[in-house]
Amino acid sequence: MGFSLTVNGDRLSSAADPATPLVDILREEMHLTGAKPVCREGFCGACMVLVDGEPTPSCLLPAALADGREIHTVEGLAPLGMLNRIQAALEASDAVQCGMCFPGMVVSLTHLLTTRPDATRDDIRAALTGNICRCTGYERIVEATLLALATA
Amino acid sequence: MISGSPIQNIPVSARDAPASIYVAPSLAAALDALNEYGPAGAPLAGGTWIMRSPIRHEPLRSHYVAIGRIAELTAVRIGSDAIEIGAAVTHAALAAALAGLPEFAGLAAAAGGSANSAIRAMATIGGNLAASEFAAADCVPALLCLDADVEISGRDGRDRIGLADFLAVRSALAPGRLVTRIIVPRAERKTAHARLPLRRSGDYPVAIVSLSLSVDAANRVQAARIAVGSVEPSARRWPRLEAALLGRPLDAAAAARTAAELTDEFVGRDSVDAPGWYRVSVLPGLVRRAAIAALGS
Ligand SMILES: Cc1cc2nc3c(=O)[nH]c(=O)nc-3n(C[C@H](O)[C@H](O)[C@H](O)COP(=O)(O)OP(=O)(O)OC[C@H]3O[C@@H](n4cnc5c(N)ncnc54)[C@H](O)[C@@H]3O)c2cc1C
Ligand code: FES
Ligand code: FES
Repeated sequence: MGFSLTVNGDRLSSAADPATPLVDILREEMHLTGAKPVCREGFCGACMVLVDGEPTPSCLLPAALADGREIHTVEGLAPLGMLNRIQAALEASDAVQCGMCFPGMVVSLTHLLTTRPDATRDDIRAALTGNICRCTGYERIVEATLLALATA
Repeated sequence: MISGSPIQNIPVSARDAPASIYVAPSLAAALDALNEYGPAGAPLAGGTWIMRSPIRHEPLRSHYVAIGRIAELTAVRIGSDAIEIGAAVTHAALAAALAGLPEFAGLAAAAGGSANSAIRAMATIGGNLAASEFAAADCVPALLCLDADVEISGRDGRDRIGLADFLAVRSALAPGRLVTRIIVPRAERKTAHARLPLRRSGDYPVAIVSLSLSVDAANRVQAARIAVGSVEPSARRWPRLEAALLGRPLDAAAAARTAAELTDEFVGRDSVDAPGWYRVSVLPGLVRRAAIAALGS
């Protein structure tokens, strides 16, 4: 039994239960704590990662089904110690609060920036329907995303 | 339950761990595996319902057969008489495949407006129909009013039954059997799907009205199929409202008034996100919204 994962380009072999949510393997076996298990229901987005380039709540993906797919977590989106475009825009826009939702937001917004360079305010809101911010900083997050799009 | 639920952090150790997840490369391999596992096994499509079993305090099965990579189950075929939707087609893929086909506007709205964008890219139509404890499924009422059939396959062959009959037997589907296709006849009609979530997106709908209407040149209703979801434990049609609309010009306000007189046939289900009476009380408003959308379709 067991499965192997490729996360941010690194390989890991795991002997965990095949239905273990990917988020738990990322945190407990790979020590990648950016993805946060908050609701475990697919609705808050705090655990969002890219699976083959698509935003995916890692609380709902059985780790064994991530075998053979390219996983990117928030830690893998920018070179070590640097910020990617959306991270820099969030910082410049004071759109960072408690940070619980931010890793997931950054993952969803990085996907939007790379796939929809022409995204409008409405597209940004639609892309964030799976990311809940309890600190309710949505307006600034949308503004920061527009800034990141404009500085492309 | 989604809305109002507390933050959940169920430890992995509390899960009733399955022994295996087998990724089936073909339909035949999936049916063989399901047959071998019998009652200890089940299909796993998008996993968006199964992976939340611990939160619902439901034990996981010992063996899952993952069907998401079977080419035959992930295709939508648009023919001249019918469309055939593979059971493992995701909500997002279905909505994209139906764009530009006005007769399926209701189904496209159901698939493309459910959940949130990340979930729509995982959740499948087969999982939506087969999750028997899930009252708020969007695609079920949308397909009920489109007169859809469900194809069920086993190693011994395939059966095709109407969706309403499938809903009645789905919790007792024999081990080794799998929903493989949903077949929807094509027809000239106006369709719409109106749902009321508590927040704009992400939450389950409190109530759903899907409708499919054929009208003549004077806009009089010649045929009507109307289905209600999320109000009772399983979606079903609203035959008295269908009959009441026949022969009359399609008028949203009048349809809503008629609906208000006929809501007494529904007994709403209570749950933490909404009481049963509320689910029933919003139906006339949803009928009005659906009729307006249908008139514009
Ligand atoms: C945050 C969130 C919000 C949601 N909001 C909505 C919403 O607004 N509207 C809505 O409709 N749904 C919503 N859903 C519910 C839902 O999980 C999916 O819509 C869908 O019902 C599940 O499909 P799946 O492929 O993920 O199913 P799975 O979890 O893989 O399976 C569900 C059940 O169906 C069985 N099954 C799956 N495929 C087959 C098959 N081909 N044949 C026989 N049995 C099968 C499985 O064994 C299991 O019992 C939401 C889910 C989440 C996580
Ligand atoms: S923890 Fe995965 S979506 Fe909330
Ligand atoms: S910043 Fe606190 S949850 Fe979003």
